[in-house]
Amino acid sequence: MSLNMHLDGHLPSTHQLSPHWQYGEFPVLARQFTHYSSRDLWEADTARLPKALAKIRRAARGFAEQHIAPLASAADLAEHLPVGECLPDVQRLLIEAGKAGWLSYFMPAPLGSMPWQAVTQPPIWQCALVVEEFSRACGGLMLLLSAHHLGCMPLLLSGSPGAITRHLAPVYRSCLNGDPHLVAFAITEPGAGSDAEEGHGAEVYRPGVVATPAPGGYLLNGRKCFISGGDLAKSATVFAALQGEGMDSWTCFYVDADSPGYSIARTEMKMGMRASGAAELEFNNVFVPNGRLIGGLRKGWALNRATLNASRIPVAAMGVGLARAATELAVDFARRYKLGGKELIHYQDVQLHLATMVAETRAIRSLIWQEAKHAWKPRQLNASLCKFHATDRAQHVVEMALDLLADHGSLHEQRIEKIFRDVRLTRIFEGTNQINRLSLIEDWQEQLLPLDSHSPIVGV
Amino acid sequence: MERPEHPLRPQRLETLTQEAVELGILSLSGSEDGFGIWDHTDSAEAMLFNIGTLRHLGQANPGVAFSWHRSSLAHGLAKLLGFTLNQERFLATTLSITGHYGLGRYSLARWLKGSAIPPEEQDVLGDWLNRQQHASPIVAAEDWQTLLWPQWSDGEVVWCLSDRAGESVSRCEAQHGFDELSSYLVQAHEHGDIRSLDASQTRSIYQRMLKADCIGLMAIAVGALQRGQTLATEYAAIRKQGGKRIDHHPAVQFMLGEVEMTLQHAEAALGMTTRPLDELDLGVLLSMRARLHESLCQAANHVVQVHGGIGYMRDCGAEKIVRDLNMLKLQGGGTREIPLFLAAWVEK
Ligand SMILES: Cc1cc2nc3c(=O)[nH]c(=O)nc-3n(C[C@H](O)[C@H](O)[C@H](O)COP(=O)(O)OP(=O)(O)OC[C@H]3O[C@@H](n4cnc5c(N)ncnc54)[C@H](O)[C@@H]3O)c2cc1C
Repeated sequence: MSLNMHLDGHLPSTHQLSPHWQYGEFPVLARQFTHYSSRDLWEADTARLPKALAKIRRAARGFAEQHIAPLASAADLAEHLPVGECLPDVQRLLIEAGKAGWLSYFMPAPLGSMPWQAVTQPPIWQCALVVEEFSRACGGLMLLLSAHHLGCMPLLLSGSPGAITRHLAPVYRSCLNGDPHLVAFAITEPGAGSDAEEGHGAEVYRPGVVATPAPGGYLLNGRKCFISGGDLAKSATVFAALQGEGMDSWTCFYVDADSPGYSIARTEMKMGMRASGAAELEFNNVFVPNGRLIGGLRKGWALNRATLNASRIPVAAMGVGLARAATELAVDFARRYKLGGKELIHYQDVQLHLATMVAETRAIRSLIWQEAKHAWKPRQLNASLCKFHATDRAQHVVEMALDLLADHGSLHEQRIEKIFRDVRLTRIFEGTNQINRLSLIEDWQEQLLPLDSHSPIVGV
Repeated sequence: MERPEHPLRPQRLETLTQEAVELGILSLSGSEDGFGIWDHTDSAEAMLFNIGTLRHLGQANPGVAFSWHRSSLAHGLAKLLGFTLNQERFLATTLSITGHYGLGRYSLARWLKGSAIPPEEQDVLGDWLNRQQHASPIVAAEDWQTLLWPQWSDGEVVWCLSDRAGESVSRCEAQHGFDELSSYLVQAHEHGDIRSLDASQTRSIYQRMLKADCIGLMAIAVGALQRGQTLATEYAAIRKQGGKRIDHHPAVQFMLGEVEMTLQHAEAALGMTTRPLDELDLGVLLSMRARLHESLCQAANHVVQVHGGIGYMRDCGAEKIVRDLNMLKLQGGGTREIPLFLAAWVEK
């Protein structure tokens, strides 16, 4: 930066009245409390992370910039593909991501690809960092790579060494060997979206996917809908009720997509995140052997909810990644685009607008890191709060970016309109943001009750 | 199931437009006897017709409504300025009333008021309307041929009819919404066919065009949300979750209620605009536009949210309403700079 460079309305940083450089001339002791480094924000945040996570964050960014971002626009604009088809570039991306360990990082070697230095940190934190970087590059491709972890989560959270070594480890191995094996997570049914995420509704819902005992296992019948990556997945964790019973009998089955009777009825044409398919899965007497029953009979509801607690912080991180991308693009536009002979960033109102966007983005990231840092056992209240707040605010940031670009905002080439279409999904899936608000209250009940006038104030 | 991957082909839009011309909704005639959209603005009844028609069209298809609105304004303006347009194809001419980015900050308002403009603001205005130096984004029917737009020339605003073939026009990728239309970046090579009027006449025409555009965009947007409301209320009455119709959950009731509140406010605001165009104040209209589009977009998001996952799917129609409402908010310079405009508009 040349000495006299400055934005309109601000003094050059070398000016007598610019304080920052003078902090460096304070006495040693004073310098310890004043002389900060004004480095790149992303770099500064990364440097604050535990070393192993910082390394992962850098690697995720590098991978996203090299492999994901270049495909983002084409994958978004591509015609709706027939069921089971995948763009060749996207197929290559899956292979690269698998080999690089991005499809197996919830376990350390030899089972997975989590660096051993990172095992002392909650895996949810690592996941949130990766998801932010991937979302920044492309919401759809991020979802393609991340829904897989959601699918694997019940295997992990079942805590069963058998499920991990017999089912998860081969999935991870296959991914690492360059033969990507995606796993889908299937809870939603045509008749149950919120009812699959919320106990009050589940209590009265008549299950649509039903497991009937058969010699050596169960036969699954019914339909699941909107299953991310379900079109490409080689297997899925499918939640089904036992025949004649309610949702409290929900049981998780690890189903092979090659099983006879398993089919993909259709994939949806979505508003955004178009690089990832949302599939309707049909089960017609699909036989699942007992050995593929995950977490125990009738333990599916709790396993589902634990999975959602684990996934909602990463979903919140999608919001951060998308808000960050929108903010970066808006800043870039303001630095490039000239009006009245000067770049937009010189105008005070533009500076105010960008400052708000940066603050909003960093505020939700702070929230997520704060929660993720302690998310060894992610609490429903905290995870839901992160999810609905971060995604709501993220959409607001993206809207601010669109507003800043005005007529240019609607152009695909400016990339923000796609981010809007992508971010819109984050307020719907993993429980709508209304259901997530109710989840916060549900999990808070123990503190909120009893409702008598002698109860102490409840801490917030 | 028929997939809406290609919602409305250009040929179909042309045919529809032709039918609208034959019905008289759009007027191609060079004389004063037409009674199409924006042919008349001098009485409350005429404004009621303009607004009502655009609202209905917005309800059916905001993209089509937008193209008809802009081309109608173009035809009306061309008539006033004595330009001869293609009399075969209504959509051959389109209009862009604002400069290459935003709303001209506060220099546009000052110029429109006839206030003295300091040189640096004159620079902003001149640059804003400098069509040679900057590419301006426009959204129009695929086969548009001429563009009517204001330009800056030797310290004044002139009206220019540019021929597509003579300008540098790049077609952009599929834009955010208005799937029936296409986006272009247009940069003028030549000066085109120019009409230069005296300054006060130019200002008066400019104001009228901005007012009509503003009202048109709002009317289309209100229509779009009305359609959204129908979708949301109908869906909420049949979808069951939590053991009951979802419109029996306060979470959903709040969203439906906010959609209704937004529409009521919008109705009241639009009602205020059913007066002769010359009696309406541009500042008031822009104030309305800023608030209205913000709340209409938010309400359209509620429409999607009420639908849950299905609302995100293209087959449903709700997500398109969100995209189209975003488009309407972003046209005509967007809404972010409106406060700057207004500050100059009310400046003593
Ligand atoms: C692109 C996409 C990808 C997805 N991926 C997956 C996936 O990989 N696996 C999977 O299993 N699912 C997936 N889903 C499903 C997703 O989790 C559901 O769409 C979501 O939980 C909402 O359910 P729903 O669509 O049935 O909406 P509904 O539950 O019908 O909700 C409609 C409206 O009613 C409200 N509502 C519903 N019940 C209540 C209540 N009790 N109280 C108050 N308000 C209520 C909701 O908030 C919403 O506003 C995906 C969805 C989408 C759109």
